[in-house]
Amino acid sequence: MRMKGLLWGDIVFQYKYGFYFLYTILTVFYIGVAITLPQSWREKIVILMIFTDPAAMGLFFMGAIVLFEKSQKVLDSLAVSPVKPIEYVVSKLLSLAFISTSAGLAIAMASGLPVNLFTLTISLFCSSCLFSSFGLIIAAKATTLNRFILATIPIEITVMFPAVGYLFGWRPIWGLVHPGVCMMEVCLQGSFVPVAFGILFGWTVLFLFFALAVIRAMLQSVGGVAL
Amino acid sequence: MIHAKNLSFSYTKAPFIENLSFHIETGEIFGFLGPSGAGKSTIQKILTGLLKGYKGFVSIDGAEVKHHHNDFYETIGVDFEFPSLFEKLTARENLVFFSSLYKKHGDIDRSLAAVGLTREADKKVSGFSKGMKSRLNFIKALLHDPALLFLDEPTSGLDPTNARIIKDIIRNEKEKGKTIILTTHNMYDATELCDHVAFIVDGTIRALDTPRNLIMSKGASKIVYTYVSEGMERLREVPMRETGMDETLQRLIRESGITSIHSSEPTLNDIFVEVTGTHLV
Repeated sequence: MRMKGLLWGDIVFQYKYGFYFLYTILTVFYIGVAITLPQSWREKIVILMIFTDPAAMGLFFMGAIVLFEKSQKVLDSLAVSPVKPIEYVVSKLLSLAFISTSAGLAIAMASGLPVNLFTLTISLFCSSCLFSSFGLIIAAKATTLNRFILATIPIEITVMFPAVGYLFGWRPIWGLVHPGVCMMEVCLQGSFVPVAFGILFGWTVLFLFFALAVIRAMLQSVGGVAL
Repeated sequence: MIHAKNLSFSYTKAPFIENLSFHIETGEIFGFLGPSGAGKSTIQKILTGLLKGYKGFVSIDGAEVKHHHNDFYETIGVDFEFPSLFEKLTARENLVFFSSLYKKHGDIDRSLAAVGLTREADKKVSGFSKGMKSRLNFIKALLHDPALLFLDEPTSGLDPTNARIIKDIIRNEKEKGKTIILTTHNMYDATELCDHVAFIVDGTIRALDTPRNLIMSKGASKIVYTYVSEGMERLREVPMRETGMDETLQRLIRESGITSIHSSEPTLNDIFVEVTGTHLV
């Protein structure tokens, strides 16, 4: 019941702040771009678009969400409520993963991406949760949106570059330990999909627990008390 | 209900609160009075379980607060000094959301009506005045019917009418058997509402008693009267216990020569200044 209330609260918050409107517009835009691309480019460009935006939206938007909650002191009330840190984290991850996965799937289907929709859904969901965990970890420490944006740059470079390289032909086998590369391997339906999915899932769980530890500390330090 | 013994806490190597001991009975209103930075918020954070690294002993209903279960939060309500509300949501949406986090759900419409926010129920909080946000924040803390209430400056920013409404609700909650911990700078609220108050300065309790005992024990009640003498109005003060020995007063009473007379007692703020040597700011 509490989890349902939290999740609904996050969805209402994201709706009120225009996340749903924005991603409807962006999805239509990406589909428009995709269907104008030559068939030979389309698959890779569409995967690139999905991977760098809907899947990664948590990395960009978590800062705004958490900083709004900090500035409106909502976290103070949550810290003295029965809400557990794991519930807070899962609610944030699931609410954004719903937008990410829906937008990514819509783009993939409308542009005729030749992928297994089931594996794409799972991959998008895990990728979204992973990026949202990165976003939560940074947002919990950030005091301003500018600092948040600056702190996301190294994450973007670290996660995106090897993944984009893999998409365009740089494919060492050891690259599969990298979460971004695993996302690509699953999207491209390569030869190591089960392994890549397992590694991606492992990274997602690992960073979920990391985000959980950071959020637990953040909730204990609300009101300017540093422990 | 709440028992603290030799409670100490430090954010750095220097102690921030030191050797606090107090006892709060079920169903009483207990006030922590002190200037900013005195340690009131830290005490509240310890009691609400947010700060666990304290020394000494603090229990609520017999259970050490650092070991309490998550269900503890079902039984407490916290009204922070500054509104903690989603600005883009309406008053009703805020209450629905926060209420959904608890097992007990109060009547949202009745709560809004109690603080005069019925007409604003479906308006966004971002358009609310400071006082409206304060009132909404206050009922948010009460909605799940907590047995223990922490109220931080609950009348701050309110006009006298709304402050009176909030104080009446606080008294009503006490009558229902709730235990209320009031953190405030406002000596009038503390005098009016609290069964006991503790003066906190520099992380220590300088005095703890009922407001009346503090006022009566530390300060002398007196009578102030005026009369006309040699064509000029004169003012004279006499301690209450010495009125029988004040010959001027006796004579003026016999001659009906008093132009004004009233008793004067020190306020809690006067006692605070006397005891702590500092002001409640």
